Amino acid sequence: MIQIQDFSFTYKNGENPALQEISLTVPDGGFLGIIGPAGAGKTTLARAIAGIIPHHYPGDFYGSVTVNGLDTVDSKIVDLSRLVGMVFQDVESQIISPLVEDELLYGLENFGVPREEIPGRMEEALAKVGVSDLRERSIASLSGGQRQKVAIASIIALKPKILVLDEPTGELDPRSSRQIFSLLKELNEEQGITVILIEQKIMLLCEFARQLAVLSKGRIIRQGETRDVLSHADELQALGVNCPRVTTLSRMLSEKTRAEQPVCINLDEAENMVRRLIP
Amino acid sequence: MNNLFQYVPGNSLIHRMNPVTKIFLTIIICVAAFVTDRLLFLVGLLAVDLLIGIVAGVANRTWNIFRGLLKIAVFLFLLQVLLTRKGTPVFWIITDQGLLTAGKVVLRLVVVCMPLALVLAVTRITDLTNAMVQVLHVPYQYAFTLSTAIRFIPQFLEEMSGIMEAQTARGVAFDKARGLKKFSMILPLCAPLLISSVRRTDQTAVAAEVRGFRLRTRESGYKKYPFTAVDLGAVLFSLALLAGAILL
Repeated sequence: MIQIQDFSFTYKNGENPALQEISLTVPDGGFLGIIGPAGAGKTTLARAIAGIIPHHYPGDFYGSVTVNGLDTVDSKIVDLSRLVGMVFQDVESQIISPLVEDELLYGLENFGVPREEIPGRMEEALAKVGVSDLRERSIASLSGGQRQKVAIASIIALKPKILVLDEPTGELDPRSSRQIFSLLKELNEEQGITVILIEQKIMLLCEFARQLAVLSKGRIIRQGETRDVLSHADELQALGVNCPRVTTLSRMLSEKTRAEQPVCINLDEAENMVRRLIP
Repeated sequence: MNNLFQYVPGNSLIHRMNPVTKIFLTIIICVAAFVTDRLLFLVGLLAVDLLIGIVAGVANRTWNIFRGLLKIAVFLFLLQVLLTRKGTPVFWIITDQGLLTAGKVVLRLVVVCMPLALVLAVTRITDLTNAMVQVLHVPYQYAFTLSTAIRFIPQFLEEMSGIMEAQTARGVAFDKARGLKKFSMILPLCAPLLISSVRRTDQTAVAAEVRGFRLRTRESGYKKYPFTAVDLGAVLFSLALLAGAILL
């Protein structure tokens, strides 16, 4: 379980606090989506959960961040990283090795995964992300999207209890993005891995995340069940966060029919609603 | 330039050699080149360099490295020939002694640089660092620094061409300038390149740290690097080279 209480953080040499009075709880096996405009503090929040803040980025740290009972300030980054796997926004800087195979090996070797388990884990992770054919390739020869998939595979292979992903589909086409989201859902439901996902692709996020947190200017504006958060579409729109088109549609239909329609968060629900209204 | 340092996959005798043996062979060739004082022996060493490239199945790469070095070599040769005053004049201010010294200097340069570049072509960087840590007991931090530096070369070039494209789009005529002029145009770009590199390196450090950088020990490597008959052969061969350099 991740518990964040009254957490504020200002980067060293930073003028304004990057995050202010954040309180957030993610239960074991939760799937939290984080949205918000650029500069809202999404990446800072991800870094805090992974313990990179305050261990690597110094600054003024108030409140507490606890991951599975470990206080991130008191724990070593190594102990935290056994629990939390993080996929960075900038894939280029996440990749350490010159070859795909070595990139996957890196974490497995360091965390002391038994030798006989390593080949199986590598194959499984590559297959899940759909890049088994890239195993022998050099990173330099891959496209941005392929690199992103390799970065995700290298983290999944470590089987962390908690996955933090900072815009992991930024360089992916719509089909691959959906594939990654489905994979996260599978890991979440079948293996009980807690997923924390920062994403701009709002449609996909609303479809897959069970909880949403909306950040703006370092504060959490709204958090809760995805459907509840989306029922405040006007508020989100004012912050510059677009809502999925199906949500906008259900809201417009509520206005036109002068009757409260349920908030739609995926295509099927929208289809049912339209069929119900237009017999 | 971009791929001069990149690994060429393969399964040749040289590829299968222990990375440590490859480093040993490289060092011996370098030492031999400086120990010997005979022009003919240096030519022989150059032939060994080229032969290694051919046996490793990277003839194309070998040729590219050779051609790249040749440009520097020609420049050095002229400089050396024009500056040496000893010996009997052969033509204008050029002396026989000058020609001989220049030839040796240039050959040494090529002979020494070729295997260094070739090692990277036939060895995965990770194998190189892992073997250095496992066999030679080099502290992992140092080995990691080395491998990261090499790994970043293509990325820097990628970034540099990105910055140049951005500048070209804003009207800087990189494509029309040549020689010194182009150099003076590129120089100011070093600042943004440096800044973005430092930022990126910092991020990579974090990425390594959250994947257990500090937990890594000498036993961590998945692959092991035993010495085989091929390695024994290579060691004997390099010792013979060294003996030849001293005795001949």
